[in-house]
Amino acid sequence: MAYSEKLIDHYENPRNVGSMDKNETFVGTGLVGAPACGDVMKLQIKVTPEGIIEDAKFKTFGCGSAIASSSLITEWVKGKSLDEAGSIKNSQIAAELALPPVKIHCSILAEDAIKAAISDYKTKNGQGEVEAAE
Amino acid sequence: MSNTGTEDTGTMKHPAHKVCWSCKGPVEASALFCDTCNAIQAPGQLDHFKRFGLERSFVVDIDGVEATYLKQQQKLHPDRFASKSPREQALSSQQAASLNEAFETLKNPVARAHYMLRLAGVEPEGGGGHTVNDPELLMEAMEMREALDDADNRMTVDAMIKDTRKQARACENDLADAFAKDAFDTAKKLTTRLRYLMKMTEEARAKKSRLAAA
Repeated sequence: MAYSEKLIDHYENPRNVGSMDKNETFVGTGLVGAPACGDVMKLQIKVTPEGIIEDAKFKTFGCGSAIASSSLITEWVKGKSLDEAGSIKNSQIAAELALPPVKIHCSILAEDAIKAAISDYKTKNGQGEVEAAE
Repeated sequence: MSNTGTEDTGTMKHPAHKVCWSCKGPVEASALFCDTCNAIQAPGQLDHFKRFGLERSFVVDIDGVEATYLKQQQKLHPDRFASKSPREQALSSQQAASLNEAFETLKNPVARAHYMLRLAGVEPEGGGGHTVNDPELLMEAMEMREALDDADNRMTVDAMIKDTRKQARACENDLADAFAKDAFDTAKKLTTRLRYLMKMTEEARAKKSRLAAA
């Protein structure tokens, strides 16, 4: 089974690795795990007062496909509104990276991570309505 | 009463007995061979604990299980069946497969816990690619892995392996308590934690080898 070039590129040169201060109100943090393989993924978004994701960072301890999936999704969500980012499906990630069937769960992890980050941001900033956060 | 065939795992008179396909006499469900005619038996539907003559419990004497496993494996070696009928050869390889599966499951504490949860009708976390979002557990996992990432010498990594092993043992003790009380929700969470502790140990050992090779 050969991995796709895009997958290898994201794995070897992951974009947006890092952390943000999770205590900031304009930062949303998603922390999810895949117990089946012992993977853990942290995905953080920085949201503008207008509700646009201006930056995203991730830290993933897991296999190459999990790292590539999180790297790709951080690229995709930048510049998107929360609703747009929240509607990204794991199947889109799997298709873009040509993930083999046994690695589909890695893309699920990335989808769940962005959803968790959005939900964390919304909770911090008052359920759903995006307020002007300092 | 239905008796659907000679390989019926049987509920004749006693559930712990089945009918020997060869001599039609009663034979203990966990027996590899009929004690009357000595014919190899089908593995049947025994659970992994019963296969080793154990009560269902998270606490397992692994050395004892391994000794039984090795003894039985020898008895099932294909060489011993080379001159037997195709049916007996097939049964012996089925028995060997069941025995391997039972041993692998009981040997590994996470696999054992998953198996016990499923026997109780509880699906372990993470099946079918599902994710968990228990913040406390994941924070712990994240911090362990970050610390391992930052470690730059074997002594530090060694200390981490020891510490993680200690935590895993404590977690196994908690799991044994939870299973003994049929507290399956608690057991499910502890199983996931144990999985993460095991993963950390694996990764730490891998890092130790890399540092040793450098």
